[in-house]
Amino acid sequence: MKGSRGVVAAALAVALVALVVYPVFGTGYGVRSTLQVFMWIALAGSWNLISGLTGYVSFGHVAFYGAGAYTGAILVTSAGWSWPVAALAGGAAAGVLALLIGYPCLRLKGPYFAIAMLGLNEVLRALVSYFEGLTGGGNGLSLPTADVTRPIYYVMGLLALAVTAGTYLIITSRFGLRLMTIREDEIAAEAMGIDTFHHKLVAFLLSAVGPGIAGALTARDQGYIEPISVFPLAITVTMIVMVLFGGKGTVWGPVMGAVALFVIQELVWAHYPYVHPLLFGAIIVAVVLLMPRGVLGLLQLKYRLPRTI
Amino acid sequence: MTVLVVEGLRKSFGGVIAVSGVSFALEAGRIHGLIGPNGSGKTTLFNCITGLERRDAGRVVFKGERIDHLKPYQIANRGVGRTFQVIRVFPELTALENLLVVTRGPRAAAERRGRELLEFVKLERLAGEYAGNLSYGQQKLVEFVRVLMTDPTLILLDEPAAGVNRTLLNDLLAAVTRLRDEGRTILLVEHDMKVVMGLCETVFVLDHGEMIAEGPPGLIQADERVIEAYFGR
Repeated sequence: MKGSRGVVAAALAVALVALVVYPVFGTGYGVRSTLQVFMWIALAGSWNLISGLTGYVSFGHVAFYGAGAYTGAILVTSAGWSWPVAALAGGAAAGVLALLIGYPCLRLKGPYFAIAMLGLNEVLRALVSYFEGLTGGGNGLSLPTADVTRPIYYVMGLLALAVTAGTYLIITSRFGLRLMTIREDEIAAEAMGIDTFHHKLVAFLLSAVGPGIAGALTARDQGYIEPISVFPLAITVTMIVMVLFGGKGTVWGPVMGAVALFVIQELVWAHYPYVHPLLFGAIIVAVVLLMPRGVLGLLQLKYRLPRTI
Repeated sequence: MTVLVVEGLRKSFGGVIAVSGVSFALEAGRIHGLIGPNGSGKTTLFNCITGLERRDAGRVVFKGERIDHLKPYQIANRGVGRTFQVIRVFPELTALENLLVVTRGPRAAAERRGRELLEFVKLERLAGEYAGNLSYGQQKLVEFVRVLMTDPTLILLDEPAAGVNRTLLNDLLAAVTRLRDEGRTILLVEHDMKVVMGLCETVFVLDHGEMIAEGPPGLIQADERVIEAYFGR
């Protein structure tokens, strides 16, 4: 066990160094794709914090991504903030939104919460379209041109790292165990003295900040956002599929799911653009039917591995 | 000294009156039994005391403080622990994690205490096993020691003997006695009359949501209303 740990640590260190030096010699396409993988790791990992651990499935997590994107974009265009600070503000805005939404919605039990979150996303999209003066409405919002893909590559990489490391810290703590008791048996958790509502709210807050930052970074990188580009249900669905595929409630499941599905998606997209949505649907069905715990969840149970895989 | 006072407690579900104006008091450092036929309101009474069900009327006072408006976790944190009739361990947490998760304060001390308690119920070898993989009896023991991790003043046990084999049962009963000797108060629902009569110092009898008798086991066994409730006229 000790030896394999060393191997894993060494492999991670090598991967980290490779990712740090990659932009120096990588192609534009390669850097951009890797940046997107970082974003998906951050999104999937964040969704895992609330839905993988507490079992409260959020069908509207892209709302935080979109809120972060608009906050960041508006601060850059209207207030002239620098993009890194605007990105942090995007995360903060998403966090505040999570508290406002979570306070009433996390009192709902599982399925009702999922539906409420679906509604939240639609409401935000409508609001953004309505307040044209601030958001540009349906015309979208253009940011001043700037080539910042490489710095954003690093910041997004740090975000993915922070979400993954944060997940590790949470899962190995008693706070994380308490979050899991909500998924396992919320009534027993309450009866054992666990303030489940408060725990859910904190998890929800933590799960919103990452997507908020990712949204603001993506807005800056792409230079243009509009309601349909930052509030699509497809982003939420992708996060969910990535986590389910990799293994919900684990540390590396979201990372694995994000990398695997991104690569599959790119390959299929390039070769068979029309079957792409079909493939995603097929993966969802296959995962749910054949391995509801995902790849790592399956290995974890079979080989009695810790959740920290 | 009384630890818990219940006054005029009432709870109905739709047209079904589960508990209808029940009053009783629990004495500190004693083992109390709660018996009654199926559907007499025992579990509902437990749920109302622990806040899992909201009472319709009446008062629940624990150590001088009204707790009937509190949330379950607040009641638990004031020192009321319970087990469930249908086991409610956290299946995808290990046996040890099931105990750790209810603790606060230094983790190392909590782990030590958790391992001690697992050893006490002879489950130390299974500390790292997912609770869901344990047998029914083992899960029952995990649930039992999980309550102890919270260091409760009052412990409500819902059918602790059901489905537990004889040897294990004797250990369990010895443990309950020891908890009493430590000064804790116990209220247990049990269908096994041998257990109730051998262990309890005071027995309460519920029938159709009403408290029909209360007293030492010897008197309860001879009480006509109790015999009638159980065996009919």
